[in-house]
Amino acid sequence: MDRKMSVMIVDDEAIVRESLFHWFKKYGHLVETASSGFEALEKLETYPYQLLFVDIKMPGMDGIELLEKIKSDFPDTIVIIITAYGSIESAVKAMRIGASDYLLKPFKPDQLSLVMERISVQEKLMSQYNYLKGHLDKITRFENIIGQSPAMEKVFSLIPEVAQSDASILLVGETGTGKELVAKAIHAESRRSHLPFIAINCGAMPESLLESELFGHQKGVFTGATRARKGFLEVVSGGTLFLDEIGEISPKMQINLLRVLEEKKITSIGSREPVEVDFRLISATRRDLKREVTEGIFREDFFYRINVIMIEIPPLRKRKEDIPLLVEHFLKKYCQETTKYVDHVTRDAMDLLRRYDWPGNVRELENAIERAVVLSKSRTLGVEDLSFIRPPDLKFSKTLSLREMERVYIQQILEENNWNVTQSANVLKINRVTLHKMMKRYRLERP
Amino acid sequence: MTSKKISVGVVPLGDIPEFDLQVIVDHIIGCFKLVAQILPRFEPPGNALDERRLQYNAGIIIETMEAMQFSNYDKVIGVLDKDLFIPIFTHVFGEARQGGKCGLVSLYRLAKNPDGSIPPESSINERAAKVALHELGHLLDLLHCERKKCLMHFSGGIDEVDEMSLDLCEYCTVYLQDKLR
Repeated sequence: MDRKMSVMIVDDEAIVRESLFHWFKKYGHLVETASSGFEALEKLETYPYQLLFVDIKMPGMDGIELLEKIKSDFPDTIVIIITAYGSIESAVKAMRIGASDYLLKPFKPDQLSLVMERISVQEKLMSQYNYLKGHLDKITRFENIIGQSPAMEKVFSLIPEVAQSDASILLVGETGTGKELVAKAIHAESRRSHLPFIAINCGAMPESLLESELFGHQKGVFTGATRARKGFLEVVSGGTLFLDEIGEISPKMQINLLRVLEEKKITSIGSREPVEVDFRLISATRRDLKREVTEGIFREDFFYRINVIMIEIPPLRKRKEDIPLLVEHFLKKYCQETTKYVDHVTRDAMDLLRRYDWPGNVRELENAIERAVVLSKSRTLGVEDLSFIRPPDLKFSKTLSLREMERVYIQQILEENNWNVTQSANVLKINRVTLHKMMKRYRLERP
Repeated sequence: MTSKKISVGVVPLGDIPEFDLQVIVDHIIGCFKLVAQILPRFEPPGNALDERRLQYNAGIIIETMEAMQFSNYDKVIGVLDKDLFIPIFTHVFGEARQGGKCGLVSLYRLAKNPDGSIPPESSINERAAKVALHELGHLLDLLHCERKKCLMHFSGGIDEVDEMSLDLCEYCTVYLQDKLR
């Protein structure tokens, strides 16, 4: 018991307080005493004592009442109940409320020593857990989701809100928009964050394999099943299951999963014994599932089960104002990974990055920056370093007049910049007033 | 080990054999390198006897000793053959308050093995020396130590008293040197 703790002894008998006070002093613990529950609560308000020894029988507020208040107001405080032979029932009640242990008075010195050993180990594990959880939160929480555009701000504000419930979430967004990162952030913010997060790409495996992966199988039920295997629906046990590309699963699998969501039970392949499961489902798709429901391609009941809350992740072309931030983030990331020092992007290169439509979204941008950093010979990325990016094809034909071409070009730049006049004016290298005049002249308005 | 010569008085509380007291004195001199001497006996205070438990309250005896004049001694260890307790515990082998002046050793439970058999006299004397040195350690402000072999490790039972050594671990040795400097 090397760890020094802060201990409070709560007992109306001065002789008991004094005995325990001197005993704990011999271990170098910080010791305080209180002669009543009220005094103990007052002292807890001023200092976060880790461990309280509480006598059950006290006038005014008894030990059980004090324990209830402590567990509600200071839930991290460990409480040990000390009681006489006559009050075992109360001791059992105390354990149910949340006391960590109880000692019958008078106790053998080594009993108290053992309790303290156990508490010390528990405290050590708890502080390790808190440290690791904090570390994990830091590396998983919003770190890789970058953006300050209104569209992303909306997503950021939704994450902590939806994380608190257990409702199924459907993330909708094009490929490469960061759906899995959002799913991980929701998991990290939820009460399940200390439990597993399992991601499965439903589009990447055939139906039979997906079924076996999700539900598990018994030994010998098919060729190659040399041993029984638990499915991810069981392994995820209390955590979050992320099913990417949910739109790719077969109607049969939709029915199987619908049943799991309704009954919270699964039966592994080859077994007849259902097993209870508990997980939070987050699904993701790049397809328009609502349209597929109306067309009869996707099951309506399953759609509504997985789509209690829908979060749309905007494509990069609709939040081009985030591109400079993302570029900066990926530059830092790949400079660290490659130990190269590239910290600048020329204005022309940034214009090119902003004009490009990024059909592969953030993932494509990340790959582009990685490639450019690897091949760059200076600390500044220029247009020549991004020559593999094909600039967008202009949407005008050779039959357009100069005036018509100007109109089409301005409209295109406005669309690319989400109709942000200042940003569009910067790209066009004209001032905002001029752009406003041109928009008026060409009757260009945000749709 | 020390640069400041602390004097320790070993006082019999009741009829304690001279040899038992001398063993404790010799260990204080030998292990802690302090000055130690046997003092005249006195009877344990009558109000220390708890008639319900038929045990002696260590706290009351220590308070009585602290009120007595042991002006020539920095620390005093009382030795008695009565069963000692402090109110919250069933029993104690010895008692001392952190940084206090007076401590106690009870021979009562040291004279029996955990299985009920009677140990040789030498074992009882060694146990008494360990408990006396442990309590003196507290009087010198040493804390309980987590190392099982260290003299300052807490012993809840006789087997643990037997398991610990008569020596301080390297950490407690340094700590004691600092305290006595």
